[in-house]
Amino acid sequence: MSSGVAVDLENLWIRFGDFVAVRDANVAINGGDFFSFLGPSGCGKTTILRSVSGFLEPSEGTVRIGGRDMAGIGPNKRPTALIFQNLALFPLMKVWENISFSMEVAGVSAGERRKRADELLDMIALEGQGDKMPSELSGGQKQRVAIARALCANPDVLLLDEPLSALDLKLRQHMRTELREIQQRVGITFIYITHDQGEALTMSDNVAVMKGGVIDQIDTGHDIYDHPATPFVASFVGETNVFRGKISRIDGNQALISTNRSGDLLARITPTQVGKMSVGDDAMMFIRPEALQLGEADASAKTTISAGTVNEEFEGNSFSVFLEGDGGKSIKMSVPNVGQDNISVRGKDLSLHYDANNAIMMPAGELASD
Amino acid sequence: MSSATIVRVALGAYLLIFFSYLLGPLVVMSLTAFNSAAFPSVSPWACFSFEWFRVLYDDKHIREGIYYSIIIGVGTVILSVSMGLAASIVLTQIWPRLRSTYYTLIIAPILIPGVVLGISTLVFWDRVGKFLGATDGSFLHDLFHNGIFLTILGQSAFIASYAMLVFVARLQRFDPGLTEAALDLGASHTQAFRKILLPFMRPAIASASVLAFLASFENYNTTTFTIIDYKTLTTVLAQKVRLGINPSISSLAFIIIVLTIFAALAFEASQRNRQRKEAIKQGKQKSGSKGFLPSFMRGNPAAILFVLLACVVIVMISVANSYSAKECKVRVREARQIEIQQRIDALKKARAAKELANPGQSQAPATGDKPANAPSGAFGNVFDPNNLTDETQEKETPGGSGAFGNVFDPTNLNNDE
Amino acid sequence: MKKKMIFSEFFRNNGLGMGSLLIALVGFWLIFLIVLPQLSMLDYSFRFNLPPAEQGGPKDFYTLSNYEHLLYGSDQTHQTYNSVDLMVFVRTIIAAMLVTLFNIVLCYPLAYFLGQSKGSGFVRLLVVLLIIPYWINEILRAFALRIIFGESGLLNEALMFMHLIREPIDFIRQDIALYAGLGYAYILLMLFPMYNVIESLDRNQIEAARDMGASWIQIHRRIVIPHAKPGIVSGATMVFMLTAGALAAPQILGGPSSLWFTQLVYQWFNDSLNWQQGAAYAIVLLASTIVIVLTVMRIFKVNMGDIGK
Repeated sequence: MSSGVAVDLENLWIRFGDFVAVRDANVAINGGDFFSFLGPSGCGKTTILRSVSGFLEPSEGTVRIGGRDMAGIGPNKRPTALIFQNLALFPLMKVWENISFSMEVAGVSAGERRKRADELLDMIALEGQGDKMPSELSGGQKQRVAIARALCANPDVLLLDEPLSALDLKLRQHMRTELREIQQRVGITFIYITHDQGEALTMSDNVAVMKGGVIDQIDTGHDIYDHPATPFVASFVGETNVFRGKISRIDGNQALISTNRSGDLLARITPTQVGKMSVGDDAMMFIRPEALQLGEADASAKTTISAGTVNEEFEGNSFSVFLEGDGGKSIKMSVPNVGQDNISVRGKDLSLHYDANNAIMMPAGELASD
Repeated sequence: MSSATIVRVALGAYLLIFFSYLLGPLVVMSLTAFNSAAFPSVSPWACFSFEWFRVLYDDKHIREGIYYSIIIGVGTVILSVSMGLAASIVLTQIWPRLRSTYYTLIIAPILIPGVVLGISTLVFWDRVGKFLGATDGSFLHDLFHNGIFLTILGQSAFIASYAMLVFVARLQRFDPGLTEAALDLGASHTQAFRKILLPFMRPAIASASVLAFLASFENYNTTTFTIIDYKTLTTVLAQKVRLGINPSISSLAFIIIVLTIFAALAFEASQRNRQRKEAIKQGKQKSGSKGFLPSFMRGNPAAILFVLLACVVIVMISVANSYSAKECKVRVREARQIEIQQRIDALKKARAAKELANPGQSQAPATGDKPANAPSGAFGNVFDPNNLTDETQEKETPGGSGAFGNVFDPTNLNNDE
Repeated sequence: MKKKMIFSEFFRNNGLGMGSLLIALVGFWLIFLIVLPQLSMLDYSFRFNLPPAEQGGPKDFYTLSNYEHLLYGSDQTHQTYNSVDLMVFVRTIIAAMLVTLFNIVLCYPLAYFLGQSKGSGFVRLLVVLLIIPYWINEILRAFALRIIFGESGLLNEALMFMHLIREPIDFIRQDIALYAGLGYAYILLMLFPMYNVIESLDRNQIEAARDMGASWIQIHRRIVIPHAKPGIVSGATMVFMLTAGALAAPQILGGPSSLWFTQLVYQWFNDSLNWQQGAAYAIVLLASTIVIVLTVMRIFKVNMGDIGK
């Protein structure tokens, strides 16, 4: 049942005094989608969420929910429910009172509220825990209560503000699956805020990547990873090796970049930039660690990099190899762990190569600094 | 090793001095409540007596003062707690650049001398009355010159700051996300306030109310200007104390001290009890352990003290009802008369001796030793042969006003007979 | 324009009903209980004490005569100073400062002791013992001291019993009772702010300093006192203001010949029924104490925000 309600942001600007928190955001979120805003802290993603939930009035532009302009409508009148970063469970109310709070303020009788709360408690596998206080629950249980409380309001859109950030790694991974399942079961639109690309990529139908108040790219998780639109997206989502230089040749959707230290390298131009780049432009080339392989390619292919091993780390499912290219250029390579006792990438004078389709070229720009 | 001992001894001595300074006067005052001597004192101990409690109980002015103090206290609590709460909420939301100015404004009343607050309240509402054209006898004129109305406003002006401080401390621990969550779930702003913020603030409201009531109850500086023709306990006491002191005030102080200790112990005991219950809940302590004490007193010295103190007070009250200091008083009076007679004899002798040596200045020693117009002149008492009679009291209160006459009024002397 | 934005945001956060209630309560307090009364007192202080019939008439113009009275007394020619009232004023300010210093010195060791030995039963008992006198009426506390310092009071009796003195000392006339009473009246307002800040000092800092060989004096001078400064200044401010503005203790414990400045104000109001003159004296008291407090806060670099913590 994908009867969810669409959310549209049109030319949205949000300013605090002189500071621009969101700059001309345009987002169309399909009904029933699991949509994520991904970005480093301070990029404006929470501000967008607060403008959707109604805690902030945009300085310019429109927020539409189900096609209806939300201007002037307070948070308590909007068909949204927000799950807060710290969950914001009411500490002085029992779990069931927390869950059914939206019914209490609507004037529903206690008996009916209790019934609905118990149903929701069943759904989140906390049956019989309704009379506990929130402080008596574990982190994951609190998480589920917060979700139940939000769902109890029968929202058209559920907004989640980094709800998993306080949980430990194991629980976080488990809750990802659970959230996705709940979303598919209830079929409403989820808007999810996170700085964790893993969460965004695994759960979302679509992801918007933000930086400094600007949305750089909106795409499926897969496309964002494989076809980043900007240097920021390429470097923020997943790990990557960056090579800077000037374009020396363009050949259809491929271009040759002459780098400062690693010679001429060939790469595919990212889809949005095909036909827009020209020879002599400052450019950046990105290669994921897992796209690099040991060995030498055809010399004419221009996809070979020479380097020497500096260090290696065992990561469980893979080895990370840190190398140093010509002129001290540091390069990271990832080798899957398929049972070999040791990795063979070790030595002073190695050659690495890659498939030009796996390297992406785009105009130079700002990177995500970690 | 020895230097550590010195530090300890010094610390002990210092604590002893500090607490003697702080508590000693209260202890002495409490003791004087039980001495039958007309002047509050401990060292010439006359008789152990409860009579001053009776005098206190019979004192109409004090009863009236307590009545108005309570009315004003309740009014002040309502006004100052709501203003303080509103001010603290506004403080959390106010535009950062205005914040420090605003804080200065709402904290200033604490620093303004109470006298100034009282005067300004009085002057301002008099002005408001004139501005509104309220004529003598009209409702507004009466309201703006009503001691209770003015006192509540004058006291609330600074007590609201105290309340505000209590609320700010509590609000710092409030997660504004909770209010947002409630709004997000469909609550109106009023519902969010009533169901989320108010329950969270309840302990702070309780302590701010107690604080406000006490501050109002014991306020003097502001009240003395704004009260006009009403009386509060404090103004009655001040008048009495200024005009002459008497142990019935000590007995009032004793009652207040005992009530305070009760309240402190009850608070401490309930605190401990809650901690213990929490510990039991978390399984850190066993609940079903055997013992001869009821469960609420177990491991709770404050509760034990509370019960003991209650027993002592009950015993005291029952003793007070049957005990009479009459015999003792007669004895003391006789003893004192003998003593006085001896002193008079001694004086006579001395005078005779002086007269012999220096006949010109016969009157000097007698007048020098007897300051006639010292209201608390204890020596006057000692030297007066009939110091417990009405006549003497009259003599010692030159131009004695109503309040003073009341302290030493005939009823308290009748108790002696 | 900006103000409008603040208010619209305020009402957005609180709703129209709650927002109006909050503004109304705070506004009533600040405007009708604090600002306007102070202003009308200021206005009063510049007026003549006229019978009601002449108020607003031609004789009702602003004048400095009420302030001149404090300086020159009833001497119209301004040849001689009003030495009686001026002496009272100076004595009040200086004595209030000395009382404040006395309280700082007396309270600091206890605040340090309580603040740094956390949670033991003995300390809890001490705190409860401290709170008890705080709840006793100011008048009664002064009364208690009067019993002790009276001519035949406990102190005289004790001193005579020990043959330290032969004649009773008139503590009241010597103002000893007054100073003891003023020091006693607000001592807890000095102790608690100090205690609160010292309690928040991490004990490890002291141990680290001791570990590095600092002496006790150095530890207090370099670590504890700088940390406790806001509390000390906050307590000192409150004690100074309350002492300078005290009325009960001087009335009860003051000698017949010596007056406190607030008593002059009281006399103008209640005995002479000259509100204008009383208002002028009250303004002088308020202005001078505020100037002193602000100067001290400037010298010690403490903010208004530290007061009341």
